[in-house]
Amino acid sequence: MSIEYANLCSVVVKQVFGETVQIVADCLFCAVSRTLPAILKTTKLSRKEVSLALAVLIKYQLVVFIPCESNPFLAEYSLKREEIFNILRYPGYVQLIHTKYGAVGAAIAEELLHGGPQTATNVLLKCIASSEVKEKVDTYRDNFLTMVSDNYLIRLPQLITGEEETIPKFQIDAYQYFVPPDINLHFIAQVQAGKENVEKAADAGIFWQLNFSRFHQDFRDAVMIGAIEKKLGASTGECFKYILKQMYERTDPWQKECSNPFTLAEIKQLIEKKSNNLDLIKHLDQYVTLIADDPLCFIRKVGDMGGGQYVVDLNRAFEELTLAWFGHVITERYGSKASRIFRIIYMKKFIEQEELQKEAMIPAREAKLLSYYLFQDQFIQIKTIRKAGGGGTGPAKAFFLFHFKPRQSVRMVLNVCYKALYNTIERSNFEKSEHKRLIEKSQKLDSIVATMKERGESAEYIDEILETLTPPEREILEKVKSRLKTLSKAEITLDSSIFLLQMYLFHTKVPTTLSNKDKKLM
Amino acid sequence: MAGRGRGKTGSLTQEQLQTLGCIGKDIPQVQTAPPPTFPPLMSKPVKLETTAAQNYQILWREAYLNHMRDSPYFLAPKIPNANSTLQSYSDQWATAVENAKTKTKADFIWQMMPTELHITQKKRRVAGGDKIVSKKPRNIDDRLKVLEEKERNEDEKDITKASSDSEHEEEEEAPADEEMDDENDYGNSYFDNGESYNEEDDNLDDGPVY
Repeated sequence: MSIEYANLCSVVVKQVFGETVQIVADCLFCAVSRTLPAILKTTKLSRKEVSLALAVLIKYQLVVFIPCESNPFLAEYSLKREEIFNILRYPGYVQLIHTKYGAVGAAIAEELLHGGPQTATNVLLKCIASSEVKEKVDTYRDNFLTMVSDNYLIRLPQLITGEEETIPKFQIDAYQYFVPPDINLHFIAQVQAGKENVEKAADAGIFWQLNFSRFHQDFRDAVMIGAIEKKLGASTGECFKYILKQMYERTDPWQKECSNPFTLAEIKQLIEKKSNNLDLIKHLDQYVTLIADDPLCFIRKVGDMGGGQYVVDLNRAFEELTLAWFGHVITERYGSKASRIFRIIYMKKFIEQEELQKEAMIPAREAKLLSYYLFQDQFIQIKTIRKAGGGGTGPAKAFFLFHFKPRQSVRMVLNVCYKALYNTIERSNFEKSEHKRLIEKSQKLDSIVATMKERGESAEYIDEILETLTPPEREILEKVKSRLKTLSKAEITLDSSIFLLQMYLFHTKVPTTLSNKDKKLM
Repeated sequence: MAGRGRGKTGSLTQEQLQTLGCIGKDIPQVQTAPPPTFPPLMSKPVKLETTAAQNYQILWREAYLNHMRDSPYFLAPKIPNANSTLQSYSDQWATAVENAKTKTKADFIWQMMPTELHITQKKRRVAGGDKIVSKKPRNIDDRLKVLEEKERNEDEKDITKASSDSEHEEEEEAPADEEMDDENDYGNSYFDNGESYNEEDDNLDDGPVY
């Protein structure tokens, strides 16, 4: 975890939960885990403030606690650092649910994100009471159950009741994660009528939250399908979508490198059942061969059984996607010539300066400048190979070879992205605080105008009200709004880049280097 | 010789740069000042695309942040700004607006959290302190009567005690001393009726004591 990531987490927590929670989260970020007295000592906040901040973080599943090893009556709190970053992806999660399940599903997801994990009955009651989407309870219940069966909602470990302990314990078996809850509609109606208490619900004590890894799985699929679509067309993209669907039948979604094999016959069956694309059904073999033969290497043929056995090579796929991403970044920053130099270095693995100039067909001076820019910004590295001997007369001769270390460069760029995201958030906060008065004024005006329109006031009167915002003020406001929108868009774009790089780090193999001990043994 | 030239440094040496092709003018100058905060861009960044999905996300995020800011889980310290000695009218207005916002009560399930986090608002009660004795008697006359009766009873008790004390003087001598030691060093037996006031001191001959 880098300092850039720590700063980003800190600013995200501050934005969502306020300054007190930020101080406590920062304190927990610095250590693996901390006890309450240790947090009190470090933060210098009052016990009440720290307790409340910890309670908020626990409620939103951002902090976990376990009994201290030395004193089992004392809890040790640790921050879920990855989960904090997920806060930035909440809009993406809701948007995905909205496209899949419509406004009702989005309302359920929204409620779970707003109020933290809750029981199914509670979520439905709140959705019916507060949501703008006026739907029947049955619709909400059905949507909730579908979301559970599709693994978008996950059950939290249940509290072990019995002896009253200072540190509560939770337990859940793996098979229970997606067991649908018992939702009693009659009971919900009684609660609405005020005849029953929510705490007496049949599913009391069973809490649900969004299953972030399921969303990430969808995001990952979207990245891969999008790449295929852009390169090989819409039908090929659709074909690959079904390939992934077939892959999940027998493969763990988060298998690191390659999927388990599947046959062409299986894909054919699936497409014939579910697709309406006749062109795809007719030329399926060719589409599959096209994907397999493409340099992106998303799928690989491993046998001839069942019309051809294939695997999805996630390792290679994300390596290729990341490389393409690097190419784009370098083109944007230094131009196409630098991108060419980068590609040559990647293809040749190790290359000398002079050879690089010849291969890239770029004038020597420009090639040198661009390669040094790339080296300076750590997109490429230099490997020194010293020539043996040389005597003591002059400097030892050495070869300097440019090469590309993907994992190292990805980590560096990832930190740059974290920093950029932090800067973007800080900048938008600054813009908001600088023009707070103006933004609030325009918001008030908007609400007044909206109510006036509802009442059916005359247009002249509405215009008169709108004129309270002077033209210079209006101009400034427009500028601020467009700046904020650009910053928000930049945040979304940065997050998609971060996601790709994170997937690369997850799926690619860590290069194994022999330790000195192993070398000695050899 | 061991380790010579092996250590990694931030930049390349002159010799290494020459091998890489940097000769004469090509050698970059040593940078002594920090790089500018906003360096000029070599090329203009690509314009960001705007999609419907992005717009939805931007609006949702804004609404989410507003919701969280108004929720009881948004904990901001209530410390006034120490730097601002002068408080403007707008500040007062702003704080009044903030206070006027009625936040819903935080809903925590304390059974699912360590007990040390649950700070109850109850004040500590002294054992047996449930009975609240009103300091002011409602009826002064009644109260006085009660006190008189109490005094009378005590006097009677003292008389009976005195008679019994004379009988059991030897037995109770030791506990009485203990009581004296425990409470204070005040001589209860000492009595001064004020007659000796302004009388000549017997020790005048001794002269003043410095």
